[in-house]
Amino acid sequence: MDQSLSHPPTSSVAVCVWIPLFALRCEEARRPELASQPGALLAPDASRRVVWQVSPLARHAGVRPGMTVSQAIGLCPALRLCEPDPAHYDERFARLLAALARVSPVVEPAELGLAYVGTDGLEGLYGGPEQIVEAIRLRIAECGLRNRNASAESAIHNPQSAIRVGWGKGKFVAWVAATRAKPGGAFIVHPGEEGKFLASQPVAVLPLDPDAHRRLRQLGLRTLGRLAALPEEAIVSQFGRAGRRWWRLAAGATADPVVGRALPEPISASLTFFTPVADREMLVLALERLIERALRHPRRTGWRVQAVRARAELERAASWLAAATLKDPSADRDHIAAPLKTRLAQAPPAAAVERLVVEFTAFAPGTVELQLFARDASAAARAARRRALRSAVQEITLRLKRPMLYHVIEVQPWSRLPERRYALIDYEP
Amino acid sequence: MRSDRLRALNVPYQVAVELGDEGLPVAVNSEATHHALRATHRQTVESVGEIWRIDDEWWRAPIHRRYVEAILEGGKHVVLFEDLMTGEWWMQKP
Repeated sequence: MDQSLSHPPTSSVAVCVWIPLFALRCEEARRPELASQPGALLAPDASRRVVWQVSPLARHAGVRPGMTVSQAIGLCPALRLCEPDPAHYDERFARLLAALARVSPVVEPAELGLAYVGTDGLEGLYGGPEQIVEAIRLRIAECGLRNRNASAESAIHNPQSAIRVGWGKGKFVAWVAATRAKPGGAFIVHPGEEGKFLASQPVAVLPLDPDAHRRLRQLGLRTLGRLAALPEEAIVSQFGRAGRRWWRLAAGATADPVVGRALPEPISASLTFFTPVADREMLVLALERLIERALRHPRRTGWRVQAVRARAELERAASWLAAATLKDPSADRDHIAAPLKTRLAQAPPAAAVERLVVEFTAFAPGTVELQLFARDASAAARAARRRALRSAVQEITLRLKRPMLYHVIEVQPWSRLPERRYALIDYEP
Repeated sequence: MRSDRLRALNVPYQVAVELGDEGLPVAVNSEATHHALRATHRQTVESVGEIWRIDDEWWRAPIHRRYVEAILEGGKHVVLFEDLMTGEWWMQKP
């Protein structure tokens, strides 16, 4: 195993970068009109359509995550429902991670919209915590999370309005600090102040299930300070191993470090032809096979290809080289092969090729095939179907000026009136 | 321009129904504008399935309907209902 991957970089001091309702913010960035109306995203995976993320305006009207569409519409008739686009959110999140990686090499994604940055040793580069936090916010603002519509105001377009940043020793303190920060603001817990800071925080900041939360409330334990004041063994006897972890987090006795991911080394795949090949179609085929092989390399998992290079050794000791930097990093064979094929067509090798090598030389975190948000194969298949639909919609929109595509959702499937059971919602991937 | 509005599916459309001696539909005359049936077309009812009644939503706009499940000539499976408040007949998919 690669040595650099077996020992990923770590950092004890953490900055938590948190964008609440990340997916909804991404939609608002694409369609600014959503920001001024009650809106909600439908759950991406549920077999029955339920509401997933709810905007503050919709929440004010009583809409809550997990409600069925009919419940939500019943509470808020003006609610604007959006189909989720997990591939887009993952792409945006990957850009955020790439921006954070420009400040520190130690970046750990936790969930969509939540990431930790390790800042050990950055003081010499940036200065104190305030300066490091400012550097992070600047990078986020520069990272291209911008709407195509330059005049649009949205949380992503203007990250200062949505991103909360927390600084502290260990991921838990940083996370709690981020939850205490105002939107667009930062909260710094200086070294030595962790115990005092944590003592006043509600127990809800712990990773509790609803039942444990209810039991803690029944025991009168509403703050971390009250919890930490009890003997550790008393909490363990009530809640088991999870209780020990909660007690240690509450007491500031444990500080989980940020664990980064080492950038993979370049990946290459090569093919030596039995007889030199000059046929361009054969070379294209070989190029595609080599890209497929390189994509399957274990080191590539969790990364998208940013830069690719194809080298050919030709007859008479000549050589041929084509290199491309992808505007949108990808883990898709055709996407990666496209610029190389163009180069092959425009400036083909001057002689027959004896050996062909494909190298991935730079990578970007995350993949459209979704390492972060949608982890399984079925989710990857859904993402692929969505991409196919998107291109179909683009074609329809070009011809008819409107997407003209709709998605069927359950509204009141139990209704005795057939026209109440299902409805169409505009589908715009 | 995306609307994000919900559009009801399977909205019933009004038809003219000829009733037999037992008060059950024997033929359906559809509106010329509706795409699902040929213009000004009369279709006989080949068989009648279940019959049921729905009385609902008395607290707002009361609904009183008599539903008849029917197979039209050519095999089309439909649901016809009579709005008992107005006497109009409507057709939709089951």
